[in-house]
Amino acid sequence: METEHLTCGDAVRKFFAYLDGALAGGSLEALEEHLEACLDCCERLDFSRKLDAFVKDRLGEEPLPEGIEERIRRLIENHGRREG
Amino acid sequence: MRGETEGHGREPVRMPEIEVETRRRFEELALPHLKSLYRFASRLTGNRGTAEELVQETFLKALEAFPTLRDPARSKAWLFQILSRLAIDRHRREAQAVTVEVAEDLDHFSLYDLIWEEDPLPYSERLHDDFLAQFPDEEVRAALSALPEAYLAPLALLYAEGMTYRELAEVLDLPMGTVMSRLHRGRKILERELWDYAKRRGLVKTWKQST
Repeated sequence: METEHLTCGDAVRKFFAYLDGALAGGSLEALEEHLEACLDCCERLDFSRKLDAFVKDRLGEEPLPEGIEERIRRLIENHGRREG
Repeated sequence: MRGETEGHGREPVRMPEIEVETRRRFEELALPHLKSLYRFASRLTGNRGTAEELVQETFLKALEAFPTLRDPARSKAWLFQILSRLAIDRHRREAQAVTVEVAEDLDHFSLYDLIWEEDPLPYSERLHDDFLAQFPDEEVRAALSALPEAYLAPLALLYAEGMTYRELAEVLDLPMGTVMSRLHRGRKILERELWDYAKRRGLVKTWKQST
């Protein structure tokens, strides 16, 4: 079966799915074929990859509020308990 | 301490007595996910106090529904699903995607191309890298938090939890195709936010009207 030929616009719309490992089969082949022939799209893809890594990196860790685990344990212990 | 709440502040719930053993098993299964759930809640709400309330609500709801959880191996996805449904209930008005016209505009937005065209750092040999290097961490976090919830939720889970599209579809109750398009558009909105910020900060001297 012949691979689908993508325009640059089609290719760009598949970049994120490609970076997320969500492309397979003919869709993946079509994008890879386009990338082999299009330097502009390779550079665009490289920027998308960098931008993703950049955002992930900048988000950092979110420290847990002090005592949250204890508060949750207490809720689990007491929730729905009958009085007396 | 920043606004953490003691207890959940709701009326006592009428429900069947939960056995001690059930509570223990629930705790064992659910508590290891506390950090991830809190991180997700915090991204969704942008506020530590509200994030804790949302997490507490999630644990209570999950405890009540625990007897219906058939497969303990699914507990993480199940907990995230409960949290995201509660978050949507809280912000029902915001939980919708952008209109089709806006979405079409977004699909054509390219930060990469704009940086080329506007050339904000004329002496740079690594233009795109240097452009990104100018953003403070809090500005990137603010850009992400500004996303409508429909885009924020899948992106936050993808970035922080590394979930696959299939897992995202399950957690967010969405078809795979919708997950894919929201992850694409969410990133496009983020690109536009970064570009707008760069313009506001004067990092880009816009001598022509850009998109």
